[in-house]
Amino acid sequence: MLITKNLTAGYKGIEVIKDINFKIEPGEIVAIIGPNGAGKSTFLKSIFNLAEVYSGRIYFKDKDITDFETHELIYYGISYVPQGRLVFSNMTVLENLEMGAFIFNDKKLIKNNLEHVYREFQVLKRKKDELAGNLSGGEQQMLAMARALMQSTELLLLDEPSLGLAPKFVSEIFEKVLKLKSEGISIIIVEQNAKKAVEIADRTYIFEDGKIALEGGKEILKDPRIKEIYFGGR
Amino acid sequence: MFNQLLINGLIAGAIYSLVASGFSLIYSICKFVHFAHGVVITLSGYFLYFLFSKLGLNFWFSVILSIIFASLLGFLTDKVVYKQLRKRKASNTILLMASVALLIFFESLILLLFGADVKTIGYIKISKGIEIFNAIITPLQIVIIIVSIILLISLFLFMKKTKLGKAMRAVADNKDVAETLGISSEKIYSWSFIIGSAIAGIAGILVGLEQNLEPTMGTNLMIKGFTAAIIGGIGSVPGSILGSFLLGLVENFGIWFLPSGYKDAIAFIILFIFLLFRPQGILGVRR
Repeated sequence: MLITKNLTAGYKGIEVIKDINFKIEPGEIVAIIGPNGAGKSTFLKSIFNLAEVYSGRIYFKDKDITDFETHELIYYGISYVPQGRLVFSNMTVLENLEMGAFIFNDKKLIKNNLEHVYREFQVLKRKKDELAGNLSGGEQQMLAMARALMQSTELLLLDEPSLGLAPKFVSEIFEKVLKLKSEGISIIIVEQNAKKAVEIADRTYIFEDGKIALEGGKEILKDPRIKEIYFGGR
Repeated sequence: MFNQLLINGLIAGAIYSLVASGFSLIYSICKFVHFAHGVVITLSGYFLYFLFSKLGLNFWFSVILSIIFASLLGFLTDKVVYKQLRKRKASNTILLMASVALLIFFESLILLLFGADVKTIGYIKISKGIEIFNAIITPLQIVIIIVSIILLISLFLFMKKTKLGKAMRAVADNKDVAETLGISSEKIYSWSFIIGSAIAGIAGILVGLEQNLEPTMGTNLMIKGFTAAIIGGIGSVPGSILGSFLLGLVENFGIWFLPSGYKDAIAFIILFIFLLFRPQGILGVRR
């Protein structure tokens, strides 16, 4: 579904990720884990044209999307949920969701998407008129995900959805991710919570120093090299 | 006396709110202090003077052209000056300096073209004030209050109900997230300048009719509008309106106790009190 070939990207001329060859098939959950500063978030951002791509190509459904603008990518069915449960805190939950559907003008489509999102996230329906800033951390993360789902997305990029959340909400977020998969949405999830991420993922990539260090299925955490990647000095 | 001061305060508040709301709108979205907003006010007043008093065009036609002119001017300052600076990753302080430069440039341009003497638009003949509750108010002043209230309510509804208004609030809230949802922040910046400057244009026309034209009128209004915006909570449009009326009322009631020459001093004492004890303003959020 999405393939990157020798992708090198970063910010302001500094290469953060180098030669990444990555693949996700339709309906898959692919997890990206690894130590801090390994370039996991940068990789997601480079797909969504929020980081600078220096070389390599990105293909989505066999189409070269490397040079597409962020808002064009949304039309093609790629959505991005940024790190840190970023919601519009001075706007209501409903307004946040409406902004998720900003690119659409078809009122009926927006309404259908909204109903769908409300079914998935009932807490948001209950609190639709509350300011997003007054929600709990977990609810804000739900809202950030729900907002991306307003875009009739096919590929969801999730950047550290469990960061800073209470354990109860962490489980809930991961359950939602599995639920979305069952609806046919492909998901790339970047996570600090390596164990949980690998558990729900079909495949996992481990990043180290801007490169893919390991790739595998659920057995990946048993790999002896993990320790070296996370704790090993060089 | 009380009623007269109340009415004077409301008139001043209405004028300040027209200045402060446009300024605050631009600030909340673009996150920098657009001081040249003041000179947009002056220019629209002079533009009306030029079209109506010099060229002799129809008054209402001239008014509409002046508002469009102000809007276009705001749009162009953003496109020609600020956008270019943003592209070069200029900090907000640089943008502030640029806006002060623009203010001085346009003010000097007006001096050059129209001279330093006071100009009168002269559409409204000096009319006797109407007496309401033992206070005197002119028909123009009533118009000023009504126009400002209608404008502010429409601005509020626009920001609350329309898709563009909501997108503007989204960019004001978090530009980067808005971008990831397909909202182009540059487009929204342009819209904030178009709408904010149109309100400034209307302010320029009303003030021009009420107090005549001077090259520095916009700068003086801008200082008051800025003060009002800080009192009300910078970045909050409703706050800036609240601050404007508060400022207008306090200034006018202040001269009950002090000589009228202290009017400006009263405004700045309030500014200092707010900066010291409640820097986020009345409706602002402490960050």
